[in-house]
Amino acid sequence: MSGGYNEIHPEPTTFISKYLISFDHKVIAKQFLWYGIFFLGVGGLMALLIRWTLAYPGQPFPVIGNLLFPHSAGIVPPDSYAMLFTMHGTIMIFYAITPILIGAFGNYCIPLMIGARDMAFPMLNMLSFWFAFLSGVVLLASLFLPLGAAAGGWTSYPTLSTMIGSPGAGQTLWCIAIFLFGVSSTMGAVNYVTTVITLRAPGMGYFDMPLTIWGLWLTAILNAIFVPVLGAGVILLTLDRVMGTTFFLAGASATSGSGDPVLFQHVFWIFGHPEVYILILPAWGIVSDLLSFFSRKPAFGAKATALAMTAVSVLSTIVYGHHMFTTQMSPLLTQSFMTLTMTISIPSAIFFANWLGTIWKGSIRFDSPMLFSLGVVFVFGLGGLTGLHLGTVTTDLYLHDTYFVVGHFHYTMAASVLLGGYAGIYFWFPKMFGRMMNETMAKIHFWGTMIPLNGIFFGMLMVGYGGMHRRIYNPFVYDSLKRLMPINEMITISAILMGAFQIIFVINFLWSLYKGKKAPNNPWNVGTLEWTIPSPPVHHNYDVIPVVKCGPHEFGNPNLKNGRDFQYQTEELVQGPA
Amino acid sequence: MDFLNLSVSTSWWELSKPPIDISTNGHLIDSLFTYTTVLAIFYFILVCIGLFGFSYLYSQKRSKTPYYTYGNKKKHLLITAFIGAAVFLSVDLNITRLSNNDLLDVFWKWPNPKTEKVLRVEVMAQQWMWSFRYAGPDDQFGTADDIVTNNDLRVPTNTKILFHLTSKDVIHSFFVPNVRLKVDTIPGRITRVWWDANIPGEYDIVCAEMCGTHHYMMKAKLTVYNEEDFKGWLSTSEKLALNTNNPDDKNLAWGWKWEY
Amino acid sequence: MKRNELQNNLAMTVVLISAAMLFVTLFMGYAVYRSSADVWPPMGVAKVSLWLPLLSTILISISSWYCYQVRLSVAKNDLAAAKGHLGLTTLLGVAFMLAQSGLWFSMKNSGVFVTSGIFASVMYGFTWIHAVHVVLGLFALGYLRWVLRTPSPYLLQKTINVEKFWHFLGVVWVVMFLGLFVL
Ligand code: HEA
Ligand code: HEA
Ligand code: CUA
Ligand SMILES: [Cu+2]
Repeated sequence: MSGGYNEIHPEPTTFISKYLISFDHKVIAKQFLWYGIFFLGVGGLMALLIRWTLAYPGQPFPVIGNLLFPHSAGIVPPDSYAMLFTMHGTIMIFYAITPILIGAFGNYCIPLMIGARDMAFPMLNMLSFWFAFLSGVVLLASLFLPLGAAAGGWTSYPTLSTMIGSPGAGQTLWCIAIFLFGVSSTMGAVNYVTTVITLRAPGMGYFDMPLTIWGLWLTAILNAIFVPVLGAGVILLTLDRVMGTTFFLAGASATSGSGDPVLFQHVFWIFGHPEVYILILPAWGIVSDLLSFFSRKPAFGAKATALAMTAVSVLSTIVYGHHMFTTQMSPLLTQSFMTLTMTISIPSAIFFANWLGTIWKGSIRFDSPMLFSLGVVFVFGLGGLTGLHLGTVTTDLYLHDTYFVVGHFHYTMAASVLLGGYAGIYFWFPKMFGRMMNETMAKIHFWGTMIPLNGIFFGMLMVGYGGMHRRIYNPFVYDSLKRLMPINEMITISAILMGAFQIIFVINFLWSLYKGKKAPNNPWNVGTLEWTIPSPPVHHNYDVIPVVKCGPHEFGNPNLKNGRDFQYQTEELVQGPA
Repeated sequence: MDFLNLSVSTSWWELSKPPIDISTNGHLIDSLFTYTTVLAIFYFILVCIGLFGFSYLYSQKRSKTPYYTYGNKKKHLLITAFIGAAVFLSVDLNITRLSNNDLLDVFWKWPNPKTEKVLRVEVMAQQWMWSFRYAGPDDQFGTADDIVTNNDLRVPTNTKILFHLTSKDVIHSFFVPNVRLKVDTIPGRITRVWWDANIPGEYDIVCAEMCGTHHYMMKAKLTVYNEEDFKGWLSTSEKLALNTNNPDDKNLAWGWKWEY
Repeated sequence: MKRNELQNNLAMTVVLISAAMLFVTLFMGYAVYRSSADVWPPMGVAKVSLWLPLLSTILISISSWYCYQVRLSVAKNDLAAAKGHLGLTTLLGVAFMLAQSGLWFSMKNSGVFVTSGIFASVMYGFTWIHAVHVVLGLFALGYLRWVLRTPSPYLLQKTINVEKFWHFLGVVWVVMFLGLFVL
C-alpha cells in the first residue's frame, strides 16, 4: 500500500546530487556523521587545551601550542581560555553530539527501522543538513575574528553577552550560528515527527517500533517545541547587541528604561533543560535496544521503558528552574522546581531497572556495541545520581557553578551520550557502509575510553566538592584550591589518554571504510527491519514495503524451530503448541 | 609527575573534602550532601550488582538459553514499580524534605536587625572586584560616613551578617566556600544572603559566575575577627572614613538606602 | 484522508507549533516586563497612538479573509478566481507591511527610539520579528501563485498549508495589537 506518500524516488546520477545536495536520507545521515565526528575532534582538542591550562597553568601547550598561540609563546592566554570553554561547550552539544545522535542516527535509522523508503520530506531533510553546515561555518569563522569568538560560556548569560560584557562580533556570530542551527533542528524535527507518524510499515503499531525510534521521536517532538524558545532568546540578544534594544540590560549599565538579564536565563533554560534530554533520549533508546539484541532476549518491559522515556520528556519541560537556584527566584518557585526535579528520577529509575531486567537471565554476547551500551548503564547511573545532589536547593547553593556540576553533566553527556553514540556507530556501521569495523580495535577503544573517562569525570566531581568553581583560568590564584592540583593533574592526564584512544576510533573508522571485511546483510542476527535488506541498502531501501507481524525484540523464543534464535519483524510470531 | 607521590602523602579523599566550615549552619549542607551521597552509593551498588553480576552470570559462556520473557508479567511490573517507588520514597522525598526544612528554618530565616545582633553589609560587584559597604556611625547606608572597602571583607565572630548585593555591570556570584553559600549578584536587582563566621582567620571570597576574562581573578579576602578585634578595626576605619571619604568621589557613590 | 495529506497537515501543524512557541516566548517576556514595571509605558514615555496599528489589524484581517477565499475557489478548482483572490491577499499583505513601517516611523518621530529603553525595545523588537515572518508569508503567497499556474492534484493541499500560515500570522498580529498597543 505504498501510495503517493512513499514512492520510489529516482536514483540520483550526478556526483553532486548523489553526495552533496542528496535527498537520500542515508547519504544525509552520513554527511551528519562526518560533520559530527569532525566537530567532536575540534571540541575534543579544545577540551585538551582547557585541561592542560588547568593542570599546568602558564606552561606552553605541547607540540601545537606555538602554532595556536604565537603571541603568548604557546601558553593559552586568559581570554582565549574563555573562548575555549565556550566553544567547547557549544561545539560538543550542538555540533558534535546533536549531529551524530540526532542527525546521523535519526536520518539513518528512522526510515530503515520503520520500513519506509525515505523521510516524509527528503528536500527539507537536505536543507536541514545544509543549514547545519552553514551554521557550523559561521561558528568556526567566529574563531578567526580580531576580538575572537564568543567567550561568555555556552549559556552566554547577559549582561556579559551584551555589548557591555563582550564587544566584538564573536558573540553576535554565536547567536546567528545558534539560530541557524535551530532552524536546521526544527526542519529535522518536522521531518522526524511526520515520518514516524505516517510512514510506519503496515502492521507496525507504536509499541512495535524499536525503542531507538521512540527515543528519536520524543527527541524530535521536544526539538520542535523548545528550540524555537532558544531562537527567540538569541534573536532578542542579537537585537540588544546590534540594534541597541535593552531587553536584557539592567542597572547602571542600562542607560534608559531597564530590561531583565534574568529573563534570558529563564528563556535559555526553558530550552536548555529539555535540550539535555533531547541529547540523551536517542542514546537511551539505542541502549535499550542493544541491551536486548545482545542479550538475545526481549527488552524487559519495553512498553514501560517507552512510557518512562515519554514521562521524562514531559517532566523535562517543567524542571528548568533548577539551574537558577542561586538567582533567588521566589521561594515558591524554588521549592516547586526542587520537588519537580526530584520526580524525574522515578521514570529514570524505572527504565534503569528495565535495562538491568533485560540482561538478567540473558545470554550475553560482549560485542563492541554491547560493551558500550553496558558502559552507558554504568556512567549514566553515576551521572544521574549526582543530579540529585544538584536538585536539592541547599546543596546546590554550595555546588552550583563548581566542577561538581561539570562532572555531573560530563557523566551524563560526555560519557552516557558519547558512549551511546559510539555504540550506535559500531552497531550500524556494517549497514551504513557494508563493511564490518575491526572488533579488536573497537574493544581497545572501549576500555581506553571507559577507564580514563571515569578518571576525568570522577576527578571533576571530587575537585568540585572540594570547592573549585567553574570557568576559571588558573586555580592557583586561590590558596584554598592549591591542594586540588594533584587531582587536576590526574584529570588532565586521563583526558590526554582518552583523547589518544579516540584516535584509535578514527583510525578504525577510516580503515574499515575501505579495508573492513564485507558485512553480511545481518551481521548481528537482529530482527528489526533494516537487517532484512542488503548492507548497504539500495537507494530506495525496500523493493516492497515490508509488513510487520511481530515486535522488534523477538529473541530466544523456545518455539523457534528454524535454527535461528530470533525472528524478523516481518515474520508471524511463532506460538508454542497450545 | 608530582601528583603521584603527593597522592601517597595525603589521600585524595582528604584533599577533595570541602574547606573547613567556619559557620554555624554550613554543616547542614555538608550533612545533606553526605546523606544524598550515601543513598546514591547504595543505589549505585545495586546497579553495579545488577550490571556486573548479570554480565558475569549470564554471559554466553555460562547461560546458553536466555529466559524468554517480555518482562510484562504482573510480578515484573510490580518489581519495577517497587523500585521506582523505593527510589522516590527513600531518596527524593527525604532529601527534598530535609533541604526544604533547612531553607525554611535557617537559610530563608532572615535575621532582623531590630530584634537581634546583626551586621549589615552592602556588596557591589563589578568587573573584577568586590566592594563592601558598612553603614558607619549613623547606621545609614549611602551616607558620607559609610565605611567602604574593596576586595576586603571583615566580620566579627558569632554575629549574623546580612548582605544585600547587586552588580554594576555583569552578573557575578558571591561565593564563600567556607560557609558553603553562594548567591548571584545581578545588575538592576538586589539579592540577599546571610551567614555567620565563628572561626577567626582569613578565607577566600570568590566569584562563581562567569563574568569575563578575569573572572578567575575576582577574589576578595574575608577576615574573621573575634568581637573585640572587630570593634577595634571598626572604630579606626570609621574615623578613617570620616576623614578621607570624599563625597563627590564617584567610586564611593554606589551605596543605596537599605530596605526591608 | 489520503496519507500524503495527513503528512502535509502534520508537518504544517508542527511548523506552526514551533513558530507559535517563538512568539509565546516573546509574550512571556512581555508579561514579565509588564508586571515588573510599576507604570507602563515607563515614566516619560508616551503611549503609541492606536491608529496605525488598528489599520494594520484591519488590513491583515481582510487579507486573511481573501486568503480563505483563495482556498474556497481552489476547492471549486476555479483557478482564475483563486488567482484573483490571491492577488488581493498579497496586496493587502504588502499594505500591512507599509502600515507597519509607517508605525515605526511615527514612533521614531514621536521620540520613541529603538534605544530608548525597554518599552521601545518591545514595541520595535516584537513588531520587527513579526514583520520578518510576514515577509516569509509573502514569499509563501508568491510560491502559491507560482503553483497555481497549472492544475495538479496537490494544489488544494498546498493552498491549505499556505493559508494556515497566513492566518497564523494574522492571529499573532491581533494578539500583539491587543497585548502591546491596546492593553
Ligand atoms: C544528557 C544530559 C543530562 C541529563 C540526562 C541530566 C539529568 C539530570 N540532571 Fe543535569 N545537567 C546537564 C545535563 C544533564 N542532566 C547539564 C548540561 C547541566 C549544566 C549546564 C550548565 O550549567 O552548563 C546540568 C545541570 C544540572 C543542574 C543544575 C546544577 C547547577 O548549575 O547548579 C541540576 C540541578 O538540579 C541537574 C539535575 C539533574 C537531574 C535531577 C537529572 C535526572 O534526570 C537524573 C535522573 C537519573 C537518575 C536519578 C539515575 C538513574 C536512577 C537510578 C540509578 C536509581 C537506582 C535505580 C535502580 C536501583 C534500578 N542537572
Ligand atoms: C557532550 C558534550 C561534551 C563532551 C563530549 C565533552 C568532553 C570533554 N570535556 Fe567538556 N564541556 C561541555 C560538554 C562536553 N564536554 C560543556 C557543555 C561544558 C560547559 C562549557 C561552559 O562552561 O560554558 C564543558 C566544559 C568543560 C570543562 C570546564 C571548563 C571550565 O569550566 O573552565 C572541562 C574541563 O576540564 C571540560 C573537559 C572535557 C573533557 C576532558 C572532555 C573529554 O571527554 C574529551 C575527550 C574527547 C576528545 C579528546 C576528542 C575526541 C576525538 C575524536 C573523536 C577523534 C578526533 C577526530 C578528528 C581529528 C577529526 N569540559
Ligand atoms: Cu565576577 Cu566571575
Ligand atoms: Cu537541567
